[in-house]
Amino acid sequence: MSSWFELLTDNFDELASGFWVTFRLVGASFGVAIVVGAIVAALRIAPSKWLPRFGGVYVETFRNIPLLGLLLISYSGLRRAGVPIGPWTAGIASLGLYTAAYVAEVLRAGVFAVSRGQIEAALSLGFDHPQTLRRIVLPQAVRTVISPLGSITIAMIKNSAIIGAALAINDILKEARIISSRTFETDAAFFWAAVGYLLLTATATVAFRQLERRYAIRR
Amino acid sequence: MGYLFDPDNWEWVVTSNNVEFLLEGFLVNLQIAIIAMAFSLIVGLALALSRLSRNTALRFVAGLWVDVWRNLPLIFVILYLALALPPSWRDAYENAAPEFLPDVLQTGRVFAALLALVLYNSAVLAEIMRAGIQSLDRGQNEAAIALGLSYWQRMRIVILPQGLRRMLPATVSQLITLNKDTTLVSIIAIQEVIRHGRILTGFNFFGGVQAPLLQVFIFIGLMFIVTNLALSRLSRRLEIRERARTGTTVEPVSGLEDQVAMAEPR
Repeated sequence: MSSWFELLTDNFDELASGFWVTFRLVGASFGVAIVVGAIVAALRIAPSKWLPRFGGVYVETFRNIPLLGLLLISYSGLRRAGVPIGPWTAGIASLGLYTAAYVAEVLRAGVFAVSRGQIEAALSLGFDHPQTLRRIVLPQAVRTVISPLGSITIAMIKNSAIIGAALAINDILKEARIISSRTFETDAAFFWAAVGYLLLTATATVAFRQLERRYAIRR
Repeated sequence: MGYLFDPDNWEWVVTSNNVEFLLEGFLVNLQIAIIAMAFSLIVGLALALSRLSRNTALRFVAGLWVDVWRNLPLIFVILYLALALPPSWRDAYENAAPEFLPDVLQTGRVFAALLALVLYNSAVLAEIMRAGIQSLDRGQNEAAIALGLSYWQRMRIVILPQGLRRMLPATVSQLITLNKDTTLVSIIAIQEVIRHGRILTGFNFFGGVQAPLLQVFIFIGLMFIVTNLALSRLSRRLEIRERARTGTTVEPVSGLEDQVAMAEPR
């Protein structure tokens, strides 16, 4: 066990930089996922014939394609097509757009969880569609989506490891592999990477639980 | 955009043996998914029953086990096992692998991949099964006890038939996730569809013109979308049937994106 701590102290800079890279990948992808997910969810609940279908196609496409395939399309594929896309852009766009499909579904479910009668009441009081959404539906929907958004964030932290495995980005898993191939201490190197991931997922769990508590409806 | 819609590039994808080669790789993915699913269901059931056991120690250990494997990235587990499994295990797998499996699946490397997929998915399935069993009315179990049934009789006759039927839609959703996850084994050089796509596009054709990599991988993506859409239709139909029959839904399991997306109208 003492050699495991030695491995940590000897390679702390590499592991820390890998941790930081994973953190930044997750943070940036989360931003993309929330923005795109909100837009797609808005499309799916729009009072129109074609917009919801368009949103539906987005969700079904990005939810059913492997993330690794998405990474290869957006990086190797686009590069071969002559688009000079970098690994960071491709990685963040892939993970963000992939997760956005799940975010969109959760947001839509949150909106549907608000009872029909409230929407009808708002409409009969003379609110128009955007007003009903903004004043009545969204404030209540936000509460119900916090917990599932937490699950999605944790899944996203785990999925970020695929980016490092597929593209030239030195995230924490990649650093662990480099250390392991140099020192042959596979168990220790992977153990510390696991600690890194569990730190991130545990932080996300606590953060979302706090949010949930803050926005809980007190009755 | 011109490149993407250039008919020549698409024609290249479907010429001669290219499609066949990709489909061959995709078949390996499906086989890995089915094998891993079969074992995950068995292990998952054992874990779920352990988590619901009256024995505190067993419950604690099973809970810890499930939480660890569920919260680690799958690709992490695959890479770790590929490096850390003793060679003797791999040899044992090569000797034990049944003859009817394709050659790709008889190599020792596949063992690490299958083990990782089973470790991860059985943990997820254990949570789904636990939710399914716990969604049953307490009275079911109490009535079975009152009738004098033993633990195994209660499970076999009363609890599991109802609980497992309720988790069927969630299990199909997990199969979709597993199907997507099988592409990750390409990272440890197992010859499945992603590898086949890379082999196909690694060469130069047409006298120095590079193979249309973008189109090949879009084609691979479409294969997954078609298969998984069919599975999710099935899942939705099962869900609707189950809700119509029992009027209940299983609580969504946290950490499972697919379940979250399905838990929509209550």
